[in-house]
Parts: sequence; C-alpha cells; structure tokens
Amino acid sequence: MKHQSERKISGIAIIWGMLLMAVLFAGCTGNSPQPAATAAPLTPAAATPAAPAAHPSAQAPVTAAPTLVPPAPVATTTPAPVYTSSEGNVVAFAAASLKGVSSQLAADYAKMYPGHSVVFNLDGTQALKTQVQNGAYADIFISASNAYTNELTKGGYFADGTVKPLATNYIIVILPAGNPASIRSPADLAKPGVKIAMEDKAVPAGTATCAVLANLAKSTYNADWNTSVFKNVVTYETSEPGVATKVQLGEVDAGFVYESTAIAAKPGTYATLTIPKKDNYLQTYTIGVLKGSQSTGAARDFENFMLSGAGQQDLKEYGFRPA
Amino acid sequence: MASSPAGTDIRRTIALACAAVLVAAVTLYLVLPILSLFLRTTPEIFLASLADPDVKSALALSLTTSVISLAIIVLAGTPFAYVHCRHRYPGKVLVDTIIDLPLVLPPAVAGLALLVLYGRAGLVGKYASMSGFPIAFTTLAVIMAQVFVASPFYLRQAKSLFDQLDPAYEQTARTLGASPARVFTTVVVPLTAGGLVSGAVMTFGRALGEFGATIMFAGNLPGVTQTMPLAVYVNLAGDFNAAIAISIILVAISFAIMVTVRLLATNEVPHA
Amino acid sequence: MLEAAVKKQLRDFALDLSFRVGDGEILVLMGDNGAGKSTTLNLVAGLVCPDNGKIRINGSVVCDTESGISVPVERRQIGYVFQRPAVFPHLTVKENIAFGLVARHCAPATIGTQVSGWLDRMNIRDLAGVKASGLSGGQKQRVALARALATGPSLLMLDEPFSGLDTDSRRSVKEIVRQCVSDLKIPCIMVTHRPGDARDTGDRICRIVQGRIVWEGPTAELPER
Repeated sequence: MKHQSERKISGIAIIWGMLLMAVLFAGCTGNSPQPAATAAPLTPAAATPAAPAAHPSAQAPVTAAPTLVPPAPVATTTPAPVYTSSEGNVVAFAAASLKGVSSQLAADYAKMYPGHSVVFNLDGTQALKTQVQNGAYADIFISASNAYTNELTKGGYFADGTVKPLATNYIIVILPAGNPASIRSPADLAKPGVKIAMEDKAVPAGTATCAVLANLAKSTYNADWNTSVFKNVVTYETSEPGVATKVQLGEVDAGFVYESTAIAAKPGTYATLTIPKKDNYLQTYTIGVLKGSQSTGAARDFENFMLSGAGQQDLKEYGFRPA
Repeated sequence: MASSPAGTDIRRTIALACAAVLVAAVTLYLVLPILSLFLRTTPEIFLASLADPDVKSALALSLTTSVISLAIIVLAGTPFAYVHCRHRYPGKVLVDTIIDLPLVLPPAVAGLALLVLYGRAGLVGKYASMSGFPIAFTTLAVIMAQVFVASPFYLRQAKSLFDQLDPAYEQTARTLGASPARVFTTVVVPLTAGGLVSGAVMTFGRALGEFGATIMFAGNLPGVTQTMPLAVYVNLAGDFNAAIAISIILVAISFAIMVTVRLLATNEVPHA
Repeated sequence: MLEAAVKKQLRDFALDLSFRVGDGEILVLMGDNGAGKSTTLNLVAGLVCPDNGKIRINGSVVCDTESGISVPVERRQIGYVFQRPAVFPHLTVKENIAFGLVARHCAPATIGTQVSGWLDRMNIRDLAGVKASGLSGGQKQRVALARALATGPSLLMLDEPFSGLDTDSRRSVKEIVRQCVSDLKIPCIMVTHRPGDARDTGDRICRIVQGRIVWEGPTAELPER
C-alpha cells in the first residue's frame, strides 16, 4: 500500500513538473501578440444632463471661427476589394483619439481586403510607446505626436520607409451641453471657479493644449490669464477620451480635446468653443509598420488602406483633417 | 508487486526534483519582476528621483490619504462588524453580500459610480457642490475612493474574527458588570487584536495601491489627487526614472506590509 | 433569596419552571443534556429574556414580563461561572479577578484588598501575575470562581463547574464552593448532569426533563436512580 501511494505521488509530481517545464518553455520562446481589444467607449447611460436643446453651432463663440458641422457624407464608390497573398491579423496600436472611428476603419479594412482583419489597442500614445519600447507586439503604430514618432524611429522600431503622415487634428474646447458655466470665449476659462479638464502633458493632446494656451497668452491674452487657466485645471487625464468623458458627465465646465472628438459626437452632447487657427496647434498623426511585425504583408496592406481614399474618408467623417 | 529498493529511490528523487522545480518556478515568477525594478535603476538615479517635487508630493499624498482611509475603515468598520455579527436583523444576508461588492467590482466601475453619485451633476454631489463643498476632484474624493475599494478587506476579516470569538467571554464580562461598550473595548478587541491588525495592514496596502477608481472619481492633479500609482502611470512615458523610483517605493512598502502581516499572523481567536 | 418563575418556548419544547433558592443554600439543577438547564441560568442572568416570567433577586425584581421590567445583565449583581471557565486569556489572574470591580468603578484600594483576599481564599496567590491562558483547567476554575465572587454578587450560578477536572481538583473546588456560599450567605444554583456531584454539593435538587421540573426535594431524599 505504501509503495502504491508513493508511486502515485511521484507520478503526479512528474506530470506537473513536465507541464510546468512546457509552460515556461512556451513563455520564454513564444511571441504571442498582445491581447489588443478596442477599448469599450465609456458612454454612461444617463449621460446628458437635462439641458435646453442647444445645438453646438447655436452657442456662437465670440472668436470668428467656422461653425462645426460634420462634413456632408460624400458619395463614394465602394473601393474594389483587393486580394493579396498576405495573411494574418493586424495588431494596430493607435492613439486613443481614434476610438470613435476605429470600428468603422476595421469594417472598411475588411471590405477592402477580404479575409483580413485588424484589432486596435487604443491608449494614450505615450503609454503605447512605452509598451512597444518594452517589447509589446504590434504590427502598426499610429501616433498622435511627432515627438513620439521620432523617438520610436530613432530607436529603430519602424520598418524603413513606412512612416507616413496620416491625418491632422486641431484642438478645441468642449463644454457640457447647455454650457452651464457660460464659457463664451477663452477669456472665460480664466474666471475663478471654472473647472477645466486637460490631458497630462505626456499625452500628445496635452502637449498640444499647452502650446495652444501659450499661443493664446502671447497673442490675445496675457501671462496672468495663462496662470489662471492652469489654476482652474482640476484633473490631468491620462488619455484624450478621459477628458471627453468628464465633460460629457458634466463634472467639469470645459475640456481640451481634438476637434474630431467634438465633430464625431452625437449632436447635442457638447457645446463647443473653437480656437482660432492662428493660435491653434495642428497635431499630426503618423502611421508606420513596426519592424518587429510578423505579418508585414498584412501590415503594409493596412497602411495602404489607411492612406487610401477609403481610409481617409472614414477619418474625415469622424472629424480628422487630411495630413 | 514489490518494487526494488533502487526503483523506489529513483522515484523519490524524481519526485523531490519536481517539487524543487515547482517551488523555484513559482517563487521566481513572483520575485523576478520586482527584482528587475531594482536592477533597472541605480542608487543615484533613485535618490535623484526622490528629490523630484512631484514624486515627493505623490508620496506624501498617498501615505496621508491611505492612513486616513484606514482610520475611517477601522473606526467605523470594527463596531459595525461587531454589531453585524452579534445580532440578527432583517436584511443581514443582503448586507453581507453588499459588503463584498467592492471586491468584485472593477475599480474603474467603482470610480464611475462614485462620480455619478457624488460628482456635481450627481444626486448627492449636486447639493454638496451648491453649498460650496464639491466632492469630486478633491483629496476627499481620493479618500472616498480608497475607503470604497479597501473596506471589504477589513470588514471580512473583522467579521470572521468576531464570528469565531466565543460569546462566553462577552457574556461573562456582562455578568461581571461590564456594559456592552466596555465589553467591546476591554474584551472583544484585545482578544481579536492580532487578526484585526493584520486585516488593517492588508486594507492599507489596498488603499495605497488604488488606481482605477481614483483617476475616475478624483482625477489626476499633482499635489491634490495624484497618488503614487497615478504618478507611476503618468510618468511611464515622460520620466521613466521617476516611474521606477515610485514603483520601488511602493514595492518596499508592500513588502513591509507583508512581513508585518506574517509576524502578526495570529488569526486564531482564543477559545474558552 | 432567589425567586424565579419563567416560561420560554424553545426549539424542541416549552420551558416552564418555578423555583426558589434561599440564602446560603445550593440548589442543584440536574438533568440530561438539552433539558434546558443552561437556558434556565441564562434566563436568570438576563442573557436571554423569558416569554413570560418574573425573577426576583434579594428582594428586587430584575425581570417582570407583565410590567415590562428587565434589568440589563450588567446590573443584576450575579456571579456566573460558565461551563468552560471563560477566564480572559489576555489578562493576568489578578486582572481577571479585578475585572468586575474595575467595571463597577470601585476605588483602587478596595480592588486591591478584594483581589488579595480572593487570591488567598482560592489558594492561587502564586499565580497572581500569570497570564490566564497558561493555566490548567482546575486553576482556571478557581480563577473564574474568585472573579465571579469578588464583586460581591447577590446570587452565584455555576454551570457544570467540575467538568474537565481531575478527582483532586474536583474535590477541592466542591469544598471551596460550599464554603464560599455559606460564608457569603448568598443563594447558589448549580447545574450538573452527574448525580454524584449533585449529592456532594447540593442542599436541594431539582430534576429537569424537557424544560419541566419532574422532581424536587432535599438531597437526602433523591431517589437512587
């Protein structure tokens, strides 16, 4: 009896030992792609607080600026599907501001390249950059900041010749529907008691916002205005959609986001305050294929799609400007 | 079916070897990532980062808020757990379940829920904001988020201890002339102190590491709401060295917490 | 003098008892496990409330369901030694004995003399500074007894006080109990399921079955069964 139980224990130990070795071995050598999923957009149920129906363009901002209206859908012919021999899923690390357009892009990519699919990992460009630098797997990297793109290029992360400008975006101020704090011009942002949400300076949108505020201070307002605006900031969010959420919930009086976020939102979600182009900061998005990609063919196909008429049309529909 | 002595020896050796591999693998998996934090920096860089005002303020804010949160949880939670354990009341089972809720709720959801209630557009926050005491985006919000996510750790421990405590001690004390309050402070708490402290230490650790609910409900403002975990995340892109420095501090505190819990590990409550 | 008449619906049967104990007298409640003996003690102590009943200790009413009187446990002036002694393990013997006196806010001098006296009477002076968790069963029993009597109660109740004691300890504890009760001239109720213990200690015996007294009388007259 004693021999039997001993044998059992040895047997179990051997099996577990082998399983463990197998797992460790797989973990060390495997190159499994990061589980990339499109971040579920944070649209809380009872989002829009009861407010008088205020169309964004009715809140006439003092500064002369083009009224913000989604571009009329241009009738395009469905692009002819392309059949290529490349295979595989495309894992795309993309700046968080592409959250709204990502599902449309995925659908149209699959239409243009039947049998192919793309999976987005959306986060602040700064977070994605760090992940890539520490070995995260991705095929495509869409950056919202030239500075980060250059950093990755210098680090040799991109495949040669694949870094291309993708789109551009201006900064805009969004306000909760109904504009409860009556922000009618950038001057109002410095009023005491106003709550502002901004991205952290590490986030591309945050750097852009700081530049915009500096420009406005230099051209129209003064340094005191700049200081007062920063005093009114109650939170530095770690991604651009984070700011949009806080504004949508009505928890802050104003937030700095990309124009695309304001344009792509359902009408009535936000009131807006545009910033004159001369003081604004034009953010450039770039796209590139990563050297570490295992599906370079599919990755290049995806890049082609993004730069093609179909991809650019999607971006335009969601408020991005052409590169 | 007698196996030869040599065969048994081989089997035993293999079994021991497998056990050793298992122990080594599990230990290394847990400890190597933490060790690598230390290896990624030098003492000079680490100390330089500590001098960074943002790092210092995150450290001070984290420690202060976590201590306050712990105090709230212990002072309110201990009597609550005691009353809950010693009495039957309608809805007791429901309360039991509700206490565990924050444990399974994703922190971001908890943060969103707190924001929707206490934010200035929220049911309660509306009035708070109007009377000039906004709740969201303040240090108070940090404390509230920490209390929300960390309290189950303490309450479950306290409940378990009080349930195990033999009621004979309390009954005897009452017959000797002690009021229920005196019984609680002179008999119940001293007899469960070891377990309560280890529960408190775990709760402190959880409050210190809180991230998701904090950033949702309290936001991220250096000096006001930027706790250490937030500072780590924010600095990942910008000041990597600061991120590492803060992470090391968090690891050191967590390690100290674990050692303390181990030393106080008298979870056993005395039986009459 | 203790006078008690209590009724309470328990899970398996209805408890219905009425008895009285004179000063300096030991009444033994005898019966099998589950007969309701401990419940009776708990009712008198106030740890449980009767459905119906009246309890009077030393002339004052501590419980009267009709008029809604129910004196809280800590004010009933009762010494109660549980079946498992429940000495506070985190306190020393001295602190244990002093517990009731401290709870009643007695003067430190009084506490000192009382504790000292009881340490001698129970012959445990050498254990004074020992933490109660390190005591043997018999020692714990003595400490519990001293602790209960140090507050000068008007009634002493003992629940199976000799269980878990060896023969010598049992003999000495029985002697101590008899001595204390007669010295202090207080009524005493003792619960046991062993006829031998009942005979040795009790002046009068009540046999309880299913919550009711089936036989009551002086010890000498207890039928040999």
